Amino acid sequence: MKEPRKLPFIPGKPAAEVESELRFHLEHRIQANIAAGMTPDEARQAAVERFGDVEGVREECARLLTADRRTQRRRDWLDDFRQDLRFAARSAVGAPMFSLLAIVTLALGIGANAAVFGVVKSVLLNSLPYEDAGSLMRIRTPIKALGDEVGSVSAGTLSDLRERQRSFTTFGAWLSERDAIYDPGDMPQIVKTQWVEPSLFSTLGVRFIVGNNFREEDAGRDTAFVTVIPWKTWQTTFGGVPDVVGKQVRLNNIDRTVVGVLPRDFVMPEGDADYFYPMGIAPFMRDPISVRGSHNFGLVGRLKPGISFETADRELRAIGDELEKLYAKDNLGIGMIGQPLRDSIVGDTRTPLIVLLASAALVLLITCANLAGALLSRTISRRKEFAVRVALGAGRGRLVRQLLTESVLLAVAGGIAGVLLAMVLLGTLRSLSLEAIPRYADLSLDTGALIVTFFIALFTGLLFGLGPALSVGKSDPQSSLRDEARGSTESVRTRRLRGGLVAGQIALCLSLLAAAGLLGRSLWEMTHAPLGFSSDRLLTFTVQLPNARYPNGTTRGNFHAQFTEQLKALPGVAGVAITSALPTTIANRNGLFVENRPWGPNEPVPFMVTSRVSDDYFAVFGIPVKQGRAFSSADIAGAPPVAVISQEMADRYWPNGDAVGSRFRWGPPNPDQPWTTVVGVAGNVRNSPTALRQEPMMFFPLRQQPFGDTFAVKTSGDPSVLTNAVRTALRGIDPGLPMYRVATMENVVDRGFAARRLPVLLMMGFGVLALLVSSVGIYAMFANMATAREREFGVRMALGSSRGAVASLVLQQGGVWMALGLILGAAGVFTTTRLIRSQLFGVGELDLLAIGAAVVVLLGCAGLALLVPVRKATRVDPITVLR
Amino acid sequence: MFDKESGLLQGTVELLVLKTLSWGPMHGYGVASWIETVTSDALRVEEGSLYPALYRMAQKGWISAEWGLSENNRKAKYYRLTGEGRRQLRKQMSGWQRFAAAVDAAITSTVAPSWSR
Repeated sequence: MKEPRKLPFIPGKPAAEVESELRFHLEHRIQANIAAGMTPDEARQAAVERFGDVEGVREECARLLTADRRTQRRRDWLDDFRQDLRFAARSAVGAPMFSLLAIVTLALGIGANAAVFGVVKSVLLNSLPYEDAGSLMRIRTPIKALGDEVGSVSAGTLSDLRERQRSFTTFGAWLSERDAIYDPGDMPQIVKTQWVEPSLFSTLGVRFIVGNNFREEDAGRDTAFVTVIPWKTWQTTFGGVPDVVGKQVRLNNIDRTVVGVLPRDFVMPEGDADYFYPMGIAPFMRDPISVRGSHNFGLVGRLKPGISFETADRELRAIGDELEKLYAKDNLGIGMIGQPLRDSIVGDTRTPLIVLLASAALVLLITCANLAGALLSRTISRRKEFAVRVALGAGRGRLVRQLLTESVLLAVAGGIAGVLLAMVLLGTLRSLSLEAIPRYADLSLDTGALIVTFFIALFTGLLFGLGPALSVGKSDPQSSLRDEARGSTESVRTRRLRGGLVAGQIALCLSLLAAAGLLGRSLWEMTHAPLGFSSDRLLTFTVQLPNARYPNGTTRGNFHAQFTEQLKALPGVAGVAITSALPTTIANRNGLFVENRPWGPNEPVPFMVTSRVSDDYFAVFGIPVKQGRAFSSADIAGAPPVAVISQEMADRYWPNGDAVGSRFRWGPPNPDQPWTTVVGVAGNVRNSPTALRQEPMMFFPLRQQPFGDTFAVKTSGDPSVLTNAVRTALRGIDPGLPMYRVATMENVVDRGFAARRLPVLLMMGFGVLALLVSSVGIYAMFANMATAREREFGVRMALGSSRGAVASLVLQQGGVWMALGLILGAAGVFTTTRLIRSQLFGVGELDLLAIGAAVVVLLGCAGLALLVPVRKATRVDPITVLR
Repeated sequence: MFDKESGLLQGTVELLVLKTLSWGPMHGYGVASWIETVTSDALRVEEGSLYPALYRMAQKGWISAEWGLSENNRKAKYYRLTGEGRRQLRKQMSGWQRFAAAVDAAITSTVAPSWSR
């Protein structure tokens, strides 16, 4: 048979192709039949008969052809992809500096994102370590006037809530942690204990890994003889032995029996303890004053199936209002709210995390813009190669795809390096074990995070590769081939694309820098705003006096006096103060009732920060006594009760300046309480170093209320060197007393900032990163511009143009884009500062200093970056260029 | 001609198609006609069943399809043997010949089995 004349093979629709083939067959057969002498009708019928089931064959063939085409397409795609990949790898290796720089930049950008995402995922997305944590709710009774969402529940309120509510199946309450002395016989140490209702563990859905929960009857006693331990205590104190249930542990001189071990991932909704005691609220209900006056309990509830958070919150608010009316004396101004348990645990961490996530995304966008610019230069220098390929028949689509494969390959390589970087970062973060991060957060990159990172890398590669790739797809191969030989100027379109990219980088960078600047200034304001006391040269520590050996005020007072004497005798000690809580860490607040000024029916009882202090407290902490006097040795138990109040408290409740000599009652309303007389007014002390608000404070003499176990020793030199001498002195008085929480006062204050400092430092790190990357981008833009117009500059200079004129030409061209970037940046600044508004402290949202500094730093770096290329442009030698 | 009921094995159809195309590229009608001619219409059954066999062979890569102009200048789909198809043809031809020889030896045998003696 001879070769048929070929027609181009254009794959059509499978059905049409089969149809045409079969029709061809039948028509030929009919022709043959007619030739054999049949009539046309007979011929047609015979042909169909001979063919058989035309319809069936047509369908089967169409199906087969469709399947064939599909596999073919897939195979072609894979072949192309493999080829692209090989080519991309070759071209990446061929330009090692470019590839390395791109991968490092990408690793930083993607790594930052992966690390921040790892934290966000651990804190905000991972499930809480409780069964069906989505139906757990934290219940609080905040003081309405403060607008806060905190506030513990009183025993009376808890009991009423249990009777009235219909949204919850169970509740569990707990008390905040307390220190106890664990004495294994040789070396007493301080451990943390927490009283919890047995129903707390069942409400949270905890499965004990050894032993069981408390029984209800355990909670009936006033003394705890049984204890539940967390995994950590089981491992460290009991060596993880399986038969731990029934073992005894001596806490505060009483033996307690272990009944159960909590799972490893268990965390308390609030607080943290080494030992849990069973608690019932019955004893709290007996005291008529504290039953509604003391707000002690943390509370979670489990929602009934089908009840939403909103419904439950509405019911709680209604019950709160009812109780406020019913018990106006205690509950006036106190509401009741519910919030999802996660929100309550995550608390203040959410906003900084989201700010960080946004910043990391900005850094990555800047990275993309920068790499897009770099890739653009590279595609321009490869223009000839592409033109040749197009001329040899490569489709534009294939070329674009090839370039995208190259950029995605770089991005994936950068992504892998980024993940490694993120793992290192998260490991560091984990080892810091910051209080700012909820304890259930494991801070690791799980599969989900890795998948997200992979997609970030993929997306990044497409994002920074798309512009340059499309610019190649559009260029005209003919002119490219011709132009390239003579090294022409950049096309207007590439110049615009590059300029736009630089403008984008400047805008994003400015937004980030402004936000970092504002947060940085906030941190500075926060750490430098006067606290109202001096934390200089102070050694602080706690010595807890166990009830068993120091049962009353006399014994405690004796200890305080004796220990103070010994401390004062140590060389280098300038003063000793004892207090219930160090400044900036006071949690205790009490209600205030001023004599002859009863609170009206709609006036909620105000709460004062409360501290018990020794005579020398004000002197040791350098808190000025502005009116009246500090405490003296005359203020002993039995003498008329006295108090020193803060300036803020005096101004608020005795605005006429007659505070000294006035009297008040405090704590739960109790008409039998003797009046306390104000003997002095002290300067204001900020209790929360991260808030500007001055809270009113009152101080009581430790002699009259001997409940303070924290010491502050003023030294003449470095306070920390005194630690051992102090410990020896303590052992001399009572060897059974451990000394703990040893820190300088500066450290104590500093710890209060830690949670605020980390995100700010990270943010500034991102800012520096963004600045570096953008500077490189600006440099690249000017360098390319100068190179591209080298010939033109040569001509201009040959025609007598000055160096300055050439420089201003370059600056003008680039300056337009920088100006555009700054204008866009202004909009960005406006948006980002809004986002971080709640994180600012003592700085306005549009603080000129911070934003101005951002602009100056950015322009300074940009100036440095463009110095070299502009200089180079003015050094063009007309003769070399034009030859 | 080539369907299951005709008793012809699928492999036989494929062998015949491969053999036909070994003469050169041809369209489906040509393949069917040629087989009928050389076999003197002995295998003449439904022609339609040839087509699914062609598509399957194309999918296996033994033959490739292309558009061409037929003798009377009409657009037709031509099939051409690929390298793999040529290998298949050699393999299947020797297989068929061994098979046919064996069957032939059996049915033309004049030695009676032992149990009939």
